[in-house]
Amino acid sequence: MATALRLIARSLRKNKIQPLYNSCSFLHSHATSFGFKEVREEEKSQMVGNVFTSVASSYDLMNDVMSGGLHRLWKERLVSKLNPFPGMKHLDVAGGTGDVAFRILESINSVKNRALLDVHDDNLLEETKIYVCDINPNMLNVGKKRAQERGLGDNSSLIWVEGDAEALKFEDDSMDGYTIAFGIRNVTHIEKALAEACRVLKRGGRFLCLELSHVEVPVFKELYDYYSFSVIPAIGELVAGDRESYQYLVESIRRFPSQEKFASMIAEAGFQKVEYENLVGGVVAIHSGVKF
Amino acid sequence: MYRLAAKRLLPAVGRWNPRFRCSSSGVRALAGVINPLRFYTSASSGTIPDQNPDNFDASASSSSTAWSQEERSRADDETQRSRNTTRPRAHWQDEEARVLQASLRHVIRLGWTDAAMIAGARDVGMSPSIVGSFPRKEAALVEFFMDDCLQRLIDIIDTKDDFKNLIPSHRVSKLVKIRLEMQAPYISKWPQALSVQAQPLNIPTSFKQRAMLVDEIWHAADDEAADIDWYVKRTVLGGIYSTTELYMLTDTSPDFQDTWAFLDERIRDAFDLKKTVQEAKYLAEAVGAGIGGSLPGFMKSVFNS
Repeated sequence: MATALRLIARSLRKNKIQPLYNSCSFLHSHATSFGFKEVREEEKSQMVGNVFTSVASSYDLMNDVMSGGLHRLWKERLVSKLNPFPGMKHLDVAGGTGDVAFRILESINSVKNRALLDVHDDNLLEETKIYVCDINPNMLNVGKKRAQERGLGDNSSLIWVEGDAEALKFEDDSMDGYTIAFGIRNVTHIEKALAEACRVLKRGGRFLCLELSHVEVPVFKELYDYYSFSVIPAIGELVAGDRESYQYLVESIRRFPSQEKFASMIAEAGFQKVEYENLVGGVVAIHSGVKF
Repeated sequence: MYRLAAKRLLPAVGRWNPRFRCSSSGVRALAGVINPLRFYTSASSGTIPDQNPDNFDASASSSSTAWSQEERSRADDETQRSRNTTRPRAHWQDEEARVLQASLRHVIRLGWTDAAMIAGARDVGMSPSIVGSFPRKEAALVEFFMDDCLQRLIDIIDTKDDFKNLIPSHRVSKLVKIRLEMQAPYISKWPQALSVQAQPLNIPTSFKQRAMLVDEIWHAADDEAADIDWYVKRTVLGGIYSTTELYMLTDTSPDFQDTWAFLDERIRDAFDLKKTVQEAKYLAEAVGAGIGGSLPGFMKSVFNS
C-alpha cells in the first residue's frame, strides 16, 4: 500500500517534468490533493478507497484512541443539532460504520415516547428511514455487522446503500436531513458533493457536516500540530498497523478549507442560514445550512 | 426618543422590527474578533448568499465599529458574487416566520413544543427538519409570538385615533388589556410559555421583549418625561403588566372581567402613587425652603448673642 502511494507520487513527478505539460495548468485542471501530495483526480478516490479499506476493521477503535473518546461527544452534538423527529427521511453520507445513524435512530426512538402522546399518527415511526450511504463496501459491512450486534439487524428504518457522495442515487427533494461526519474531506470535488446534498434535500431540509477543521488558538495550535504529526501516525502504526493511512488523515485535515471558506462554499452550493460551530477550539467544526 | 433609548439600552434589538432583522453579518464580524480567544465558538454567515441591499446597509451601519476595511471589502465581494449566482426564491427569515406562524395554530393542542412546530412546518409544506435550525427551539416560538403581538399592538396604536381622547391612565390600561387579550386564546398553555421565557438562556430575550412592550405602551400614552421618572414608570408598569398576566391565568370569570377590573385598580393605584410622590416632593421642597430660610437666621441669632 505504502509503496503504491510512493509509486504514484513518483510517476506524477515524472509527468511534471515532461515539457508537454505546463506544471501549473496541470495542477489546476487535473490534480487534487491527497494529503500533502498532489495526485490526479481519478486516483484520489481510489487512494482514499484504499485507505479506508485498510483501516475499516479498526476504524472505530482508532477513532476512540486518537480523539480520547471525544468523537462520541462530537457525534452526539451533531445529532442534537439535527434534532431528529419521527417520520424523518435522513441521509447519512460517508457513515459506513453507522455511528451517526445509530445515534439518530436512538434519538428518534426516545423522542417517540413523548411524541406519541401528541401526534396521533402511529405510522410515522415506520415511515422513518435512515439511509447510510458510503462509497466503501468494507465500511458498510462493518456498519451492518455492528447493527446486528445492537439488535438493529432487521430494523426496517436502517437502509445501507453503497454510493458516491458526488453522484447520489436519490431523487430530488426526497430527504429531510443530510449529515456527513468526517467524510467530506475525502471527497474529490467538495462542491459536487455539496450540490448533490442540496439537490436531494427537501425545502426546509438541513445539511450538517461534522469535520476535523483548523485550530487557530495560539499555544493549543502548536500542541495540536505536534499531536497530529508525531503521535497520530505512531498510534496508527501501533493499533491499526498502518502508518501511511493516518499520515494521510492528518495531512488531509490541513488541506481542508478553513471554517469560513467552507461556510462560504456551502452558501454557494445554495444553502441558506449557513452557520458553523467550533468544538474544542476548532479541532472539529459543525457546519450547518438549510435549503429553502 | 424612548424607543431610541430603549434600543440603546438593550442592543441586538428584537426581530419585530424588520429594519434590524439582519444582524448576523455583524455577529459574524464580531465573532471573527472573539474567535481565537475562546475554546467554544460559533459563528454564522447565513446572510452571505441572500444579502439584499437594504439588509446589508442595516447590518453594516449597526456594527460599523466591528467591521474593518478588509472585512468590508470582503463582504462587498461576497455580495457581488452572490448577485451572479441565482437568487434564492425566498428569504429564509420569511420562511421561518411562516413556519412559526403556522405553528401557532397547533399551540392550543400541542403546547409550546417541538411537536407544534413540526406540525406547523408540515402545514406550510416545509420539511420539519427546519425546526432543528431554530435557536433555543420552543423559545423561538414563544419569542415569535411576543414579537408578533407587539407588532400588532403597534399597528393598533398607529391606526386607532380614539386613544387620544382618553386620559393617560385609561389609555395605559386599555393598551395593556388589548395586549393581554391577544394571548387569551392560548391561556391554557400560557403557563408553559412563561416557563419557557423564564429559562436562564431565554431570560435576556424575554426581559428585552417585555421592556420594549412597556416602553411602547408608555410611548403611546404620550408620556414625554425624560427624567428619573422614566425608569420608575416603566418598572411600575412592567410590574402591573406581569401581575395582571399572572392574575389572568387563574381567572375563570367570563371574558376575564375580573382581570380587567384588577388591572384598572392597579393602574389607578399607580397613578395615585404618582400623585402622592409628586405631593411628597412639593412638601419636601417647601420644607427644604423653610429650613434654608431659617438656618441663616438661626446662625445669625447665635453669633449675635
